[in-house]
Amino acid sequence: MISMILRRAASSSLSVFVLVTLVFFMAHLTPGGPAYSILGQKATLASVAQVNARLGLDQPLLKQYGIWWWHLAHGQLGYSYLLNRPVGALLWSYERNTLVFYSAAITLSTALAILLGLAQGVWFGRWPARLIGAFQLGFYAAPPFFVAAMLVLWFAVQLGWLPASGITDLRSAHPGLGAYAAHLVLPVTTVTLLTVSPLSRYFGEAVHEELGKDYVRTARAKGVGFLRILFAHVLRNALRPLVTMLGLSFPYIFTGGVIVESVFNYPGLGWLMWRSALAQDYPVLIAIVLIIGLLTVIGNLLADLVNGLLDPRASYE
Amino acid sequence: MNRPRGSLAAGLALGGLILALGLVAPFLYPADPYALHPAQALQAPSLAFPLGTDELGRDNLALVLAGGLATLVVALPAAALAFAAGLAYGLLAGLAPPWADKILMRLLDVVLALPSLIVLLFFAALVPLNNTSLILLLGLISWPGLARLVRNETRAQRGRDFIFAAEQAGAGRLYLARAHLLRVIAPVLVVNGTFMVGDAIFALSALSFLGLGVQPPQVSWGSLLETALNIIALDPWWLILPPGLLVFGSLLAASLTGQGLLRRWGEAR
Amino acid sequence: MSPVLEIRNLSVALPRGGAGLVKVLEDFSLAIAPGEMLGLVGESGSGKTIAALSIMRLLPPGAALSGEIRLGGQNLAQASEAEMRRVRGKRIGMVFQNPLAALNPSRSVAAQIAEAWRVHEGGSARAARARALDLLGEVGIPNPAARLDDYPHQFSGGMRQRVMIAMALACAPQLLIADEPSTGLDPLVAAQIMALITRLRRERDMAVLFVTHDLSVVRDHADSIHVLYAGRSAEWGGARDFFAQPRHPYSEALLGAVPRLGVARLRTIPGALPEPEARPPGCRFAPRCAYVRPDCTATDPPPLRAGGTHAACLYPLSAAPPAEPAPDLPAGERRYLPLLQARALGVRYPGHAAPALQGVSLELGRGECLGIVGASGSGKSTLGRAILQMQPHTGQVTLNGQDVTALRGAALRGWRRRLQVVFQDPRESMNPRMRVGEIIAEPLVLQGQTARAANAARVAELLNNVGLSAEMASRFPATLSGGQAQRVAIARALAAQPELIVLDEPTSALDVSTQAMLLNLLKALGRRLGLSYILISHDFAVVSYMADRIAVLREGQVVETGPVARLISAPRDAYTAALVGAARR
Repeated sequence: MISMILRRAASSSLSVFVLVTLVFFMAHLTPGGPAYSILGQKATLASVAQVNARLGLDQPLLKQYGIWWWHLAHGQLGYSYLLNRPVGALLWSYERNTLVFYSAAITLSTALAILLGLAQGVWFGRWPARLIGAFQLGFYAAPPFFVAAMLVLWFAVQLGWLPASGITDLRSAHPGLGAYAAHLVLPVTTVTLLTVSPLSRYFGEAVHEELGKDYVRTARAKGVGFLRILFAHVLRNALRPLVTMLGLSFPYIFTGGVIVESVFNYPGLGWLMWRSALAQDYPVLIAIVLIIGLLTVIGNLLADLVNGLLDPRASYE
Repeated sequence: MNRPRGSLAAGLALGGLILALGLVAPFLYPADPYALHPAQALQAPSLAFPLGTDELGRDNLALVLAGGLATLVVALPAAALAFAAGLAYGLLAGLAPPWADKILMRLLDVVLALPSLIVLLFFAALVPLNNTSLILLLGLISWPGLARLVRNETRAQRGRDFIFAAEQAGAGRLYLARAHLLRVIAPVLVVNGTFMVGDAIFALSALSFLGLGVQPPQVSWGSLLETALNIIALDPWWLILPPGLLVFGSLLAASLTGQGLLRRWGEAR
Repeated sequence: MSPVLEIRNLSVALPRGGAGLVKVLEDFSLAIAPGEMLGLVGESGSGKTIAALSIMRLLPPGAALSGEIRLGGQNLAQASEAEMRRVRGKRIGMVFQNPLAALNPSRSVAAQIAEAWRVHEGGSARAARARALDLLGEVGIPNPAARLDDYPHQFSGGMRQRVMIAMALACAPQLLIADEPSTGLDPLVAAQIMALITRLRRERDMAVLFVTHDLSVVRDHADSIHVLYAGRSAEWGGARDFFAQPRHPYSEALLGAVPRLGVARLRTIPGALPEPEARPPGCRFAPRCAYVRPDCTATDPPPLRAGGTHAACLYPLSAAPPAEPAPDLPAGERRYLPLLQARALGVRYPGHAAPALQGVSLELGRGECLGIVGASGSGKSTLGRAILQMQPHTGQVTLNGQDVTALRGAALRGWRRRLQVVFQDPRESMNPRMRVGEIIAEPLVLQGQTARAANAARVAELLNNVGLSAEMASRFPATLSGGQAQRVAIARALAAQPELIVLDEPTSALDVSTQAMLLNLLKALGRRLGLSYILISHDFAVVSYMADRIAVLREGQVVETGPVARLISAPRDAYTAALVGAARR
């Protein structure tokens, strides 16, 4: 088990390396450049050259690439061109927001998915399961910008119950926790609605499938009651696809989604990535890509690890 | 997911309706989507303007129909392109010797992990965004999922006895791909091809929403939603609902059709 | 002595694919006394498993059940689900086929055995664990204390079945229902499981209802036999009387269809098992019966007492069946022209320490049938695949003196075409989206014969050769029965005009009567077309029926090769002797 995880970690780090390299060169080969974002579109060639020299962008590309790794090896992610702050600190200030937002949403949708999936698996083919199925189909097809827009329209604009965007109340000098929480309600609802559908669907199918297996009949033949069969036998075996999917969505807990964060003007990491990409703020952009790559790897490994604990057979394969 | 039989018919009907709205209706509805009526800016639906007007006083119904045309003429070819690319790459990897398969799949991992927005930004800066380049770009970022699926299916089918039996009768790789593998994975291909159409419409709308898709002055469903969202405080529900529902409907139609097909073949098998 | 279990007039109907309820078991009655072992025997579709599940009331949802199932004073047919939960596992234990699927993969065996105890008896976890330890020891798991926390996948097939049995015995039930508990296990292991069940029922004075498709399994162990055919009882009574003189023509045919050591000719039952929707009127067996008379199809035959058993037949057999004509057993060793030679074959799978195949050398003559026998994991299928060149291997294979290792490309494909294969699972061996005609014509097309009319005529001829009608060509594999599908696979192999056909467990997924038909067909085809066979099987009796010589494989090596008669009468290797000992006689 451990050797398998090490082997997979090694091969995935290679993927991350290739990924970061690709993004580095793509970003730097993109025409334009950060100087225009800093100076404005009408900047003179001379001032652009001056900025480029200051940022080290006049160096050969391979050398810049080497310098980036050299700095990373020393724990440096560089400075944001645009905001002139260390990338590490910058990322962390946005990361906090995303972390709160997405961990709330994923926790909520996982809990909901388990409830819905159990109901769907148990009543498979009958009306409660069909109702859940229709809900899943609907939200599976719903585009996030539409769901977000509708929620804002109803609850922020028409009913005025909740704030439409941002992270807190800018007008009050000392916003309380309540203000933060109120700003989180709509984004969290959006992401929960959108993620609960695939999660609950795979889990529901797994529950249904496990309930049809021979070992369930064996348990019944022992005289075990249905609830005990469901929770002591089926649940653990049915959780595996859910864990795998959660592992795949692990990076989102940290990076968020560009679209949802931009609809709600929520200053999270996804929003920052989009802004940096547009402004060609390379150090920030590449640092975020590195984080996404690493998180993807970690998410997959975590899922393998948890599944290894859930299923004793996995460790022998 | 549990709607029996009806889902295929419902999906096809909805899909047909959306295709008709996007591809035929723009030529039937007389109003010019780009004509400005500043005096009647931001009006709710009325007899004169069935879906109201936007903040510049343009006829929203005409805009939505024009946006549909702009969306579909890019999304449909892009889906076809991505389908062909994914199928070719997947078959190649599936039939390749193990070492080549390993390289191809590792490459695919990287492509899958690349944030597609960054890839698009990169190319968008290199080439001007127009329908042709958008089709190519969208096709370029949408194929890896299908490629992986085709490769996995191909590998799984290759281990089955009927492939061995064909090889024993003298079959070569090309014959296996054509006569056996394509045939067994055909249902998977059709179902996923359906999903890809919906995904392409969604991807293009999302890009346009972020300003990277169909470029102004041309409108699309995504860009209409984006402009409406900028003035959401004015409660312009008639500007948000139609394009949003149409993107939603496209995805729903693709899901319903794909699932209907899947169930049909699941029963036949 | 009053019976433990008494079933009276049990009928079961199941919902089948939109067609409404279909009767799968009718008017079924039996009684089992304490300590008695009753063999409930039937082929697929006979209703035997449904009968067993009815007793436990574990039928699929929507099933309709009528009649009486008396356990002690209680009628289980009328019992509520809550009452049934107190019966299941407590008064009746049940053991299923395929223990790997029947055990929960993610819970330790101790937890699963202890659960059976705690559900009924309560008590502490520690006490339940102690009970599990006792039970594991009782069913013969070596060093049980060390294995309590192991998971099902860490046990071998036979040991898993012992765990299942331990679980069923946890609360000392009066009745054990065993549904094909030894099917799918290697013959030696299956014999051990049978011995274990026999020992346990003697020690515990426990009644056993033993469900099986194979009469020979229960021959030495059962006290009484109950034969089902197509949802109805055909014959029932004492095992001794039954085996001495079966009275129902179906029983007789079924006994004659089982390959046994020294049997020269298998009985073939004409026709096929009827589907539950399309069962014939009157006696269900009449359309396939060798002794049928006009009035057999008119009325349901009443049970008649004939000799020691009851038979539901208007004309039960009275005399011993006519003696089979003396077999043309080869007087000595026949001489064959050499066809295929394999020298020092070796296969090593990546990630496995032990080689799957090591230093295997074989020879095969033209027109000869070589049997390869071994337990699962012995490398017998790997050997077949290596000879066919489906599997990379070391060593040398020559056909008519032509060494395959030197060949590449078209020459290799031409060489391989002369060897064909029939696999165990006929469904897996055909592309589900191709029609039968296309499947059979594939070798022709691949040889460059693309003329449609000529190919269609050849396909019809080949279908006829394997006893199928030419109309079959337009069907899809999924619509064929197992026996039909396997015949199509043989027709495809014949289409390539091979010199040798490798038969990899060709009948182990089939019913007894279908197996007999197929073995006879292969034998006849081999003789008529001068084919050579390599027959791979775990079943020594099947191989001995077909083969001229047998090679015994164990852990990737040949332990003994010799003519069949010599191997049976004077095995030189201890493992061969054990296999011969466990084979049906």
